[in-house]
Amino acid sequence: MIRFENVSKTYKNGTPALKDISLDIEKGEFVFLVGASGSGKTTFLRLLLREELPDRGRILEAGRDISELSKWRVPYLRRNIGCVFQDFRLLPNKSVFENVAFALEVIGRPRSTIESQVPQILELVGLADKAKNLPGELSGGEQQRVAVARAFVNRPLILLADEPTGNLDPTNSESIMALLERINRTGTTVVMATHDKALVDRMRRRVIELDHGEMVRDQVRGVYGIDEPMEIR
Amino acid sequence: MRVYLRYAVKETLANLWRNRMMTIAAVLTVAVSLSLVGAALLLKQSAAQASAQWEQGTRVTVWMQPNASASQLANVRSQLATMPIVKDCTFNTQAQDYQEAKRILPQSEWSVLSVSNVPSSFRCVPTVPSDAFVVMSTFKNEPGVYNVTAPEQQIRQMNSAIRILQIVFLALAGVLLLSATVLILNTIRMAIFARRREVSVMKLVGATNWFIRIPYITEGFIQGLLGSLVAVLAVTALHTWYPLHNEFQLDTTALVGTNLVVLIVGVVIGSVGSGLAIRRFLDV
Repeated sequence: MIRFENVSKTYKNGTPALKDISLDIEKGEFVFLVGASGSGKTTFLRLLLREELPDRGRILEAGRDISELSKWRVPYLRRNIGCVFQDFRLLPNKSVFENVAFALEVIGRPRSTIESQVPQILELVGLADKAKNLPGELSGGEQQRVAVARAFVNRPLILLADEPTGNLDPTNSESIMALLERINRTGTTVVMATHDKALVDRMRRRVIELDHGEMVRDQVRGVYGIDEPMEIR
Repeated sequence: MRVYLRYAVKETLANLWRNRMMTIAAVLTVAVSLSLVGAALLLKQSAAQASAQWEQGTRVTVWMQPNASASQLANVRSQLATMPIVKDCTFNTQAQDYQEAKRILPQSEWSVLSVSNVPSSFRCVPTVPSDAFVVMSTFKNEPGVYNVTAPEQQIRQMNSAIRILQIVFLALAGVLLLSATVLILNTIRMAIFARRREVSVMKLVGATNWFIRIPYITEGFIQGLLGSLVAVLAVTALHTWYPLHNEFQLDTTALVGTNLVVLIVGVVIGSVGSGLAIRRFLDV
């Protein structure tokens, strides 16, 4: 599903963000991206969204080299990638329903699709009874679930999550993780950047660790800490 | 497509309403500047038309008193004949002028005239058109002379006045059109700024660039269109109640043409303003 071939990225001010990364992520995998701040996690995700282009190397998504995508096709690439962020990025003046519907509206989905899809996905994230509420009236965990619903309502092939539990207490983090797992079970590839050690340790999923732009670990059923036994693929 | 149309209309109207003060400012500036453009065009056309109408005919007319004596007539006649700046002169008797008056004046006016109270006249062509002035000043105070008129000279003066007016109008209109463009640009910029969250989410979920842009372009377009519609009303009013001679009255074709120019300029201003705003401030 995702393939990095010797990808390097250096920002204009000279800081190297990623150094010669090569990896494969299969369809339906759940991958944690760990590392300290500035290790290149965010750049990794931005490259996948084609908000940045790599300086060297190729990135393939669903078999296509996304560096070669013409500019006008980028929106269509993004329709296959759902995104969740630490700060939720909901529209404060739109209701829960409208926030999720907006994602379908702006890619030109007809009203009938919106009216059948949005209640379904709100049911999935457990917010059917809050459809008419504004984001400001919800707890952080609920807001993040709305964000997940928005990211997933178009049934993307890939779901990217950048510190989705960063602003949440353990209980809410738990429910978001359960949700992401559920989405992953439908066959969606999930890539999640996180700092949450306890969470990674418990989940026992594949862990990719970045340090100063270099991939220092790629472990199939990994944990967060490097003091654990390693298994390099 | 239908979904998109609904979305675009909704967004555009919402943006116009949210920025209504700026919208009004932009629309009024467009309206004032385009009214000036329209007025300048009308002036130009009516001046051209008036000149064309007066082209043939007498250049300078020396009107005699109806009761001028034969010696006064002879005096004027001989002076005109010996003046080198006068190329050609014909004499209209009182009867001839009465017939002419009958032809060109409305009945209410010529019915009070009779052959005896109509002036006789010398119709002269000066060698150089501007010499009409010299003829005027020479004969104005000659005994027996009632008046000296030079319609072409008057038109010439009027034309140069109109030309100056036109330049002033167009220069003002240019400055105003520029400020209208900047105002529209600023309105659109504010609309984009107000919706930056929406725009970032739209980019995230894969809305196409044109999907994001079009509501803002339409907004500028509508501001230009509204402004030019107001200007069309002003130009039409100006045309209907033109404060000048009948000779300057233009036909409907000229009015329609002028209004068309006004509309097109308005729409272009609106689109250019919003286009610039999008290029600079909408990073898609």
